[in-house]
Amino acid sequence: MSYLEYNIKHVPTGLRKVLHVNWPLVLLMIAIASFGFLMLYSVAGGSFDPWASAQMKRFAMGLGLMFFIGFVPIYLWRNLSPLFYIVSLVLLVLVELVGETGMGAQRWLNLGFMRLQPSELMKIALVLVLAAYYDWLDNERRSKLLWVLIPVLLIVIPSFLVLRQPDLGTTLLLMIGGASVIFFAGVHWMYFAGVISAGIATVAGVFLSRGTPYQFLKDYQYRRIDTFLDPSADPLGAGYHITQAKIALGSGGWTGRGFMQGTQTRLNFVPEKHTDFIFTTLAEEFGFVGAASLLALYAGVLIFAFASAFKNKDRFSSLMIMGLAVTFFLYFAVNMSMVMGLAPVVGVPLPLVSYGGSAMLVILISFGFVQSAHIHRPR
Amino acid sequence: MSRVPLRPLARILSARQKGEDHKAIENENIHQRMLAARGRQRQMAEGRLLIASICFAVAFSAVGVKMFALSSTEPREPRTASSASKIYAQRANIVDRNGRILATNLSTYSLYAQPHLMTDPENSAVELATIFPDLGVEDLLEDFTGKRKFLWIKKKISPEQKQRVHDIGDPGLLFGPREMRLYPNGKLAAHVLGGAGFGREDVHSAEVIGNAGVERTFDAFLRDPAQENAPLELAIDLSVQDTAERVLYGGMKLMNAKAASSVLMDVKTGEIISLVSLPDFDPNTRPNPKATLDAADNPLFNRAVQGVYELGSTFKLFTIAQALELGLMNKNTMIPTRGPLVWGKFKIRDFHDYGAKLSVTDVLVKSSNIGTAKIAIDIGVKRQKEFLDSLGLLTATPLEISEAAGGRPQLPPNWSELSAMTISYGHGIANSPVHLAAAYSSILNGGYKVEPTILKNPNPERGERVVSEQVSATMRDLLRQVVVRGTASFGEVAGYEVGGKTGTADKPNPQGGYYEDKVIATFASVFPASNPRYVLIVTLDEPSENSGAKPRRTAGWTAVPVAAEMIRRIAPLVGLRPVIEPGPGFGIVQAKGSSQ
Repeated sequence: MSYLEYNIKHVPTGLRKVLHVNWPLVLLMIAIASFGFLMLYSVAGGSFDPWASAQMKRFAMGLGLMFFIGFVPIYLWRNLSPLFYIVSLVLLVLVELVGETGMGAQRWLNLGFMRLQPSELMKIALVLVLAAYYDWLDNERRSKLLWVLIPVLLIVIPSFLVLRQPDLGTTLLLMIGGASVIFFAGVHWMYFAGVISAGIATVAGVFLSRGTPYQFLKDYQYRRIDTFLDPSADPLGAGYHITQAKIALGSGGWTGRGFMQGTQTRLNFVPEKHTDFIFTTLAEEFGFVGAASLLALYAGVLIFAFASAFKNKDRFSSLMIMGLAVTFFLYFAVNMSMVMGLAPVVGVPLPLVSYGGSAMLVILISFGFVQSAHIHRPR
Repeated sequence: MSRVPLRPLARILSARQKGEDHKAIENENIHQRMLAARGRQRQMAEGRLLIASICFAVAFSAVGVKMFALSSTEPREPRTASSASKIYAQRANIVDRNGRILATNLSTYSLYAQPHLMTDPENSAVELATIFPDLGVEDLLEDFTGKRKFLWIKKKISPEQKQRVHDIGDPGLLFGPREMRLYPNGKLAAHVLGGAGFGREDVHSAEVIGNAGVERTFDAFLRDPAQENAPLELAIDLSVQDTAERVLYGGMKLMNAKAASSVLMDVKTGEIISLVSLPDFDPNTRPNPKATLDAADNPLFNRAVQGVYELGSTFKLFTIAQALELGLMNKNTMIPTRGPLVWGKFKIRDFHDYGAKLSVTDVLVKSSNIGTAKIAIDIGVKRQKEFLDSLGLLTATPLEISEAAGGRPQLPPNWSELSAMTISYGHGIANSPVHLAAAYSSILNGGYKVEPTILKNPNPERGERVVSEQVSATMRDLLRQVVVRGTASFGEVAGYEVGGKTGTADKPNPQGGYYEDKVIATFASVFPASNPRYVLIVTLDEPSENSGAKPRRTAGWTAVPVAAEMIRRIAPLVGLRPVIEPGPGFGIVQAKGSSQ
């Protein structure tokens, strides 16, 4: 049921496209980003420097990029998706060879004018290429073993490269994001049962290899997992992040200490307070009400994205939107769980709120594709 | 699954008969089938979406519930400061063998400033300079009015100083808790304990790390919270250590020596009951080593374990013990001692001329270099090397004082027969006093090897045998004779049966050769000789006993009297009762008495 099989009665052209943008989605994202600006302003001690102003500029640029991508017809993006995937893969291999090391992991590629994290690009490219694949594939063949193996390979190759950097958080996001596209494409459920068992086996393997010279993860990641299992054992060492974050959440209470009144974060008790752990600032200053509001905004983004996907009759568009929405969901779910001690500390930012260019750009680009699919949907 | 055929024959035929377009039927069916497929597709998609929504709902409620739970907890105050200082207080005490404190911790404060919080920098600077005279007003004022937001003023201050700074009342002057290491006995056992200093430090606390001695060797143990502050028990006896230090200090001054060391070792367990190295230092204020100073003159230098010296004639014990052990001779075998003994270009002389020959006993008692060298020729290079190695004299000792690893023996690069001869009387090989104590203990305790240890070790494992019980007894007898009628006659301490061997070695001149007038005098002693309990090594660096017409430097005149005084004072402290020595014929007298 591909795009061209439908009778395109009316696809907007030119400036008329502006009317057909999924505006609620855009407004929700601006609202979420505003939360981020407030927090960055507060963490810096009531100053736009050094974080809030830079973040606002990046968001504005990202928003522009989102609209640009959104106004380009979706079938063009679909046809380009294999190219995106190959380029991202090449960049991942390059990062392995000549990447820059930051915080114990090789993740960055220095392009001269900017530092690029290819694993972030891969999150989008993977969803796009999988959606394109299932758009191209006949329904009759989609559950045949050979035709399932191809997308699995498409997921496993970049995941392996990212795991070697090593970046556990992104690896999980890639694998779950990719798997969700396969799931929505309607591949037989038996495959998922198999993959989940294999996943459990992998986890077992990761732990069994610990201490041997062939261990998969770095020692610090193992320690993080230990900390997750029992953070109270080492509250001032490896468990410090989570302990302090929990204190911040607890001291926020229902309505919070008030804007710019947080002590945990402003007195530097919480590490990475402007990046991965910015949620603690929010929870401390705005309390449960503020945190729940942010959660509701994220839920709103998901609902509008899935509604758009469900209404879209183009298979590629629909799969792509759902895959990107799941990736977005994973970002904030993993981040919030991590901050509240429900998941290991894996270094995933809070989307649109955490300080940082690469992640924000990726989110806005991905929603550019969502807008493109929405604007150019077959009617 | 039964499907409607796309071109049902019956319907097509009937349609043809009616003249209708049969292709419409096929199109119709294709359309129906497509609709059905789309319906199935939609159903599938809805199912999948439902599952996904359930996953989302679960995730959202998990996050929401957790958030709810956390928000409803009572806010706890940040507790970094208190719990951090608790961690640093956990350095364990060090105690002696009777549980008396050698090292402990003291809570004190550091003083720092945050100039941007200061209300009156000028006044504060003046006040601080009066409290701490080593601080300059100008320097402080410059720091306080400069751009810095934080600066340390003092790392450790006393409670009185803290109160006085507090009374200045400047909010920019702040205190941080500091746990510092305290050695309540001052210089006592300084070289054993070593010392500790601050490692990483911040406002709330500082890490205390061991810099030297057992503080360094057992740093991990002392800091390990799992030990629950169990103290580190050393073999040192505080009273004995104090006595040994006083006697050695007095002896060093009396004998005009520039340095001295002593080691008292339990012969059976290898425990070091006291270890002294002079000059010493106070571990509470550990001096900074001066680079210009010769290593051996540095008070931080631990002569007893780091200082390797030629120990001279004390080595003769090893040569003769081995000769007896190998059965090459007995203690009465006569050895030619006519000198000098010429070996190539090298001549070996004795201090005195001992005539044509001496018994093995007298070679040791009179300390004949020529006689010992002759015995060494009989033993041979290979066996000598093996024997000295079995006594632990060829490698650094395993003693748990961090400096001990640096006490590596100096060995001849090429162990020739000439080397064997000089080594037999303690020249051409250099060892630390602890080496000597352990080797003497091994030979004299009944003949099994002991390793030197600074830890209290109530149940030692018996080491491997190095000489037979019989040889061990003979050697104790010979050492006793050295004191009774030999070179160490000043070593006699009534009631304690001291046995021992002197050693006087010329000090090597850094320019080559040996000094004429500088010696290392060593006395290696054991007491009581008939039932040995302790080995005591005393070395004096450059001693000179000036009461006679000419300065006397040999160990018999210098190290021996010091060691004797030490034994006289220490023996009662370690619980030894003076005994009347069983002399020759003692038994007969008693038999006569009992028959009457």
